[in-house]
Amino acid sequence: MAGRRRRRLDLTTPGLLGLPLAWLVAFFLVPIGIVGAYSIDVFSIFPGKHPVTLAGWHDFVHSAVYLKLFWKSVRMSLIVSALVVLLAYPLAYYLALSGTKRKYILLLILIAPFLTSYLLRVLAWKVILGSNGVVNSLLYWLGLRSHDNPVSQLLYSRFAVMLVLVYVWLPFVALPIFVSLESLDQRLLEAAADLYASRWQAFRRVTLPLSVPGIIAAFLFVFIPTVGEFVTPSLVGGTSGYMYGNQISDLFGTGFPDWRTGSVLALFLLGVVAALTGVFARFLGMRQTAAR
Amino acid sequence: MKGEELIERRVSREDFLKLGAAAGAAGLIAGRAGAADAARSHLEKESGRLQVLDWPGYGNDGGQAMFAQYVKKYPQNKPQFTVMTNESDALAKMHAGLKPDLFRPYVGWVKYFATSGLVQPWDPKLITNFKDLNPLMVKAGQYQGKQWGIPADWGFDAILYRTDKVHPKADSWGLLFDERYKGKIAWFDDLGMLVMAGFYLGFKDPYKQTDAQLQRAQKLLISKKHVARTIWSSETSLDNDFAAGDLWIAYAWPNDWVIMKKKGLKVRYMHPKEGPISWVGMFMLGKGTPRPHLAHAYVDAWSSVKSAKWLEDNYGYGEANTKARPASSDLLRALQLTNPRAVAEPNAHFDRDIPRRAVYAKKWEEVKAA
Repeated sequence: MAGRRRRRLDLTTPGLLGLPLAWLVAFFLVPIGIVGAYSIDVFSIFPGKHPVTLAGWHDFVHSAVYLKLFWKSVRMSLIVSALVVLLAYPLAYYLALSGTKRKYILLLILIAPFLTSYLLRVLAWKVILGSNGVVNSLLYWLGLRSHDNPVSQLLYSRFAVMLVLVYVWLPFVALPIFVSLESLDQRLLEAAADLYASRWQAFRRVTLPLSVPGIIAAFLFVFIPTVGEFVTPSLVGGTSGYMYGNQISDLFGTGFPDWRTGSVLALFLLGVVAALTGVFARFLGMRQTAAR
Repeated sequence: MKGEELIERRVSREDFLKLGAAAGAAGLIAGRAGAADAARSHLEKESGRLQVLDWPGYGNDGGQAMFAQYVKKYPQNKPQFTVMTNESDALAKMHAGLKPDLFRPYVGWVKYFATSGLVQPWDPKLITNFKDLNPLMVKAGQYQGKQWGIPADWGFDAILYRTDKVHPKADSWGLLFDERYKGKIAWFDDLGMLVMAGFYLGFKDPYKQTDAQLQRAQKLLISKKHVARTIWSSETSLDNDFAAGDLWIAYAWPNDWVIMKKKGLKVRYMHPKEGPISWVGMFMLGKGTPRPHLAHAYVDAWSSVKSAKWLEDNYGYGEANTKARPASSDLLRALQLTNPRAVAEPNAHFDRDIPRRAVYAKKWEEVKAA
């Protein structure tokens, strides 16, 4: 009887972990392995024998074009992530700490754009930013610009890509910061006030340090997907807003299929993102240990 | 005996010849009927839905008129579509295991696919409208004496520009690199841009560029990329941006010119002095397809005058059926439909096989990434 109970207990953990683990292996690790195999020609979409080669990796490392494009995307993504966090923080702060009874209604309003499709939200910006769009029309009306001389940098530019990405990711980022601020022990703020800390000092010494994990999580939340973004740049980026993700997509799908190079680029992106996440996670771990 | 005499008398030489002729005709008719019966029996044997790999807008998402006659005739074998975004996508899908009964790459890919082992030649005798197809385009669908591609839609690549905003120094592809119109120019997302650059640079055969020539063409495109605002891959997007005034100059197709004219814009479809590039869509038959006769019937429906005219009127492309004429006189002029050799030299450079397509593709991707 006791043996049967023990056996049942022993199966609980693998039983619970089994499905997510199997999912992770089948839909994450195996596909990555397949992409890795394509990158060295173990697999190829073309029939026939293909000797295993590191030529794709060699070309990539020695190609200034791809690495330059990668760093351009990283820069754009870093700017977007920083801007989004800067904008989302006050918003989340207000929702979490202002004590308003309507905070969940406001939170619902914040995430309301998710009720429409991503594509529609991005395309709406074309209407706003185009030569005959809302912004330029206002400038014409105010007499600041003539119809022959619209502000053309608004659309099909890096600016357009970053603006749309900030808009799209703002609610996503506000949520983890909101959660981190809401779970803040209010007694710490009361203690700070009892010790004659000003509101600014309490924020700087108590609220901000305790919300750092939320900020970092939010930052990564934006950085990881935007560095490989390709939908937004393809819709509003034009030639100057072309990103690393577009290149990966194009190598797989346009001109002539070059899955080897596409796989190399994809794996490089994955590696860099994983390394950055690891660094941040370690940093967070160190902070938490220090805090204890 | 009496009867035999009667017969002998009646069957004179003249009568004999007449009888011979009649018998011959009957044989011929019987032969034709036999062939038709054979085709019909083949068709009856072929089952399931016809698997078509085609571009967006040519299936049940708007292109139904092109194959309506087929559906009417074979309601049990309605086409089922898989979308191809370009030939590279089609190639990848087919290598990944997709087995379409037929698909439609463009003329520059005919030789590639014909030698790929993925397709088989057509039997033009099974396509009744084949005789009406432009012979030049039909020939472009041949490789080593076999008909690998059945021509369908066609058009040109040239420059569309606003005459009220743009004043070209010459009728040349160079307008796509004109610094005066920086930020108002659209390029086309295709490795054919390197071919165009080759024509602009005066190369003898831009479809077979040497490494040094490719380097020059790529360098030109990279050095001038900053003047281009977009590199379009969606024609709808191009048309919207052009109509909105975001673009004044574009690498475009004749129907874009017709659309802009309809919108009331002052536009011209330039014939560059280096020559426009012409292209034609080619239906290709999947190797080992279990529905070859149905595939022929489908292409036959596409090739009819009715379908061809619909394509011209609604999509603004030319159709290989030479009897079709669009309602729009503008389109008639833009496509030069009265000239059956409009797609050929010296009027235009007919798109063709690029032996080093993979190298061109890599160079073009580098242009975009640079």
